[in-house]
Amino acid sequence: MSKKRLTKLLNDLADATVEPVRPGLPEDIKQQIPKQLSPHKGGTDTIHIVINLRISKLAAAAVIFITILLCAGLFGGRDWTSDGIIHGIRDSLAWLGAGRADAMAVRSRYEDLARQGKNVVYYGDSIDPADSRGVLLQLKLPDGEYRVVFADGSTKIVNAEELVELLSQTLLKRKK
Amino acid sequence: MAKKAKLTEQKTGFAHQISRTADVNKREKQLKEHRDSLAARLRAGDRSAADEFVDMYHQQIYLFMRRLGHNRQVSEDLTQESFLQAWQHISQLRNGRALNSWLYRIASNVSKLYWRRHKGREMTSIEETGTDVPESSEAGCDIIGRHEQLGRLKKAVALLPAKLRQAVVLHYMQHLTIAEAAEAAGVREGTFKSRLNRALETLRKQVI
Repeated sequence: MSKKRLTKLLNDLADATVEPVRPGLPEDIKQQIPKQLSPHKGGTDTIHIVINLRISKLAAAAVIFITILLCAGLFGGRDWTSDGIIHGIRDSLAWLGAGRADAMAVRSRYEDLARQGKNVVYYGDSIDPADSRGVLLQLKLPDGEYRVVFADGSTKIVNAEELVELLSQTLLKRKK
Repeated sequence: MAKKAKLTEQKTGFAHQISRTADVNKREKQLKEHRDSLAARLRAGDRSAADEFVDMYHQQIYLFMRRLGHNRQVSEDLTQESFLQAWQHISQLRNGRALNSWLYRIASNVSKLYWRRHKGREMTSIEETGTDVPESSEAGCDIIGRHEQLGRLKKAVALLPAKLRQAVVLHYMQHLTIAEAAEAAGVREGTFKSRLNRALETLRKQVI
């Protein structure tokens, strides 16, 4: 069979397979036309763009999360070099993961000590999460000195003057 | 006298042919202008343009779904879904020339997504559409033989791999140009032509 004849048969087949559409169908479709038929959408467009690129939703979420971190680095006045970005991301992740876990462990320790009737103060609720040298906890030792636990998990034994100095620095950073 | 009459008849026939070609060109130009204007109005968010767009294309898209092998109910649902997607992606519409390919591309993706989600489902052959084969107007044509041939062709089209079937349906049954059909299928013209040739070769073997 020649190509021309086959083409003609296909055209005939197209005519043969024409069938009427349910009369209500166009009206059903028209009812779904949005009130604001605008090409300029806001809001969830970023998500749709990423999903339209056939990236899975999990990957889309990761892309959006990284974008937020980078934007936070940019608009938070951080160093915009590659080291700065990495540092910023590491800080953010530390705050989201490890930092929070440490704070929770210190809080639990504080509750333990307080129950034992020790002279202990917890500052975890009021310090800046980004301040790794912020004082999380102070514990008065029997010899009159203080043991302080910092946000990064390190500890130091200081006297009363040094404690006041550390606390004022922590407060100052929080105010910034 | 007879010679003069024949000459006049020839001249009239020629003039008629020229006038018909001019009419076709004029109609094509009008259609193009209408599509351009419709696309511009759609981009501007004109609701009446959307109504017009539905009136113009709903039957085409429904038949496209049927010819791709979906049953009546699913074809209706997928037609509605195609228009719903069209409203959401109206920003991707460029101009009137791309109107056809833009909508068919959305419809193709909607159909593809449906097949992907319902992998186990049987495909409805377009043979089961229940439409009658039209009688040929060609004198002396064997109507029964032609009917049988069309029946075999329907079966063969339904059995083609999805990509080849889509190519045949877009170009020969929905009457899109090669450029429009290639854009609707999301491939280059060369790839589309190659698919079309492979499909025709397969059909030719089965319909002989």
